[in-house]
Amino acid sequence: MSLDTQTKLAIYRHFAETGQRPSLQVVAERVGSNVSSVREAYVRLRAQRVLVLEPDGVSIRMAPPFSGVPTQHVVIVDGTTYFANCAWDSFGIPAALHRLGHVHSRCEQSGEPLNLDIGLDGPPPCSWLFHCLVPSAKWWDDIVFT
Amino acid sequence: MLFFRSEERVGEWCASHGYPVRPLITMDQLWTLATTWYSTRLKEDSRRPQPDEMRSIFAGLGLEGDFWDPQSDSFG
Repeated sequence: MSLDTQTKLAIYRHFAETGQRPSLQVVAERVGSNVSSVREAYVRLRAQRVLVLEPDGVSIRMAPPFSGVPTQHVVIVDGTTYFANCAWDSFGIPAALHRLGHVHSRCEQSGEPLNLDIGLDGPPPCSWLFHCLVPSAKWWDDIVFT
Repeated sequence: MLFFRSEERVGEWCASHGYPVRPLITMDQLWTLATTWYSTRLKEDSRRPQPDEMRSIFAGLGLEGDFWDPQSDSFG
């Protein structure tokens, strides 16, 4: 398995197990490599759009659907709390984990809370809506804003 | 990429920020997007969908046109 794949899996599995972003050191230890090589893998994974880094180049901002920082989209699976990058990713976390989940978020206009129990087949009947402002071709121009 | 209680709330939010209202997605459609995008994300051979795959995924949900085209140049 390539270092890039090992690095990607180490990051995603750490998120899945803890709900938190791993440090560069933790990822390096997990893949049995040095931090310099793993940092280079981070750059390649960013190019593949499976990783978003903070300006320091080593702190993980996003490993979609997981967020490395707290957000308004909170997902609880098996007692572990996760933060999602956006509404789409809040559904993406139980989908990635193949587990039941609870999504807590809000209406962006009114602030009304949204609480949804996500089953293995998806959410219950619900009249809420998802709105994506940025066109698909522009999502990665500024993925944090998207 | 946000949740809204209703179409009316989307319209209010867009108007207050000067944003255009985009196509609205139901929760069932969003679940399909989430599972299609992420259900293999923790597996070794997972990868983000490529542009042609994205178009196919969106089209399967009735999401077509320049807004959903990942290679459209219609938005500057």
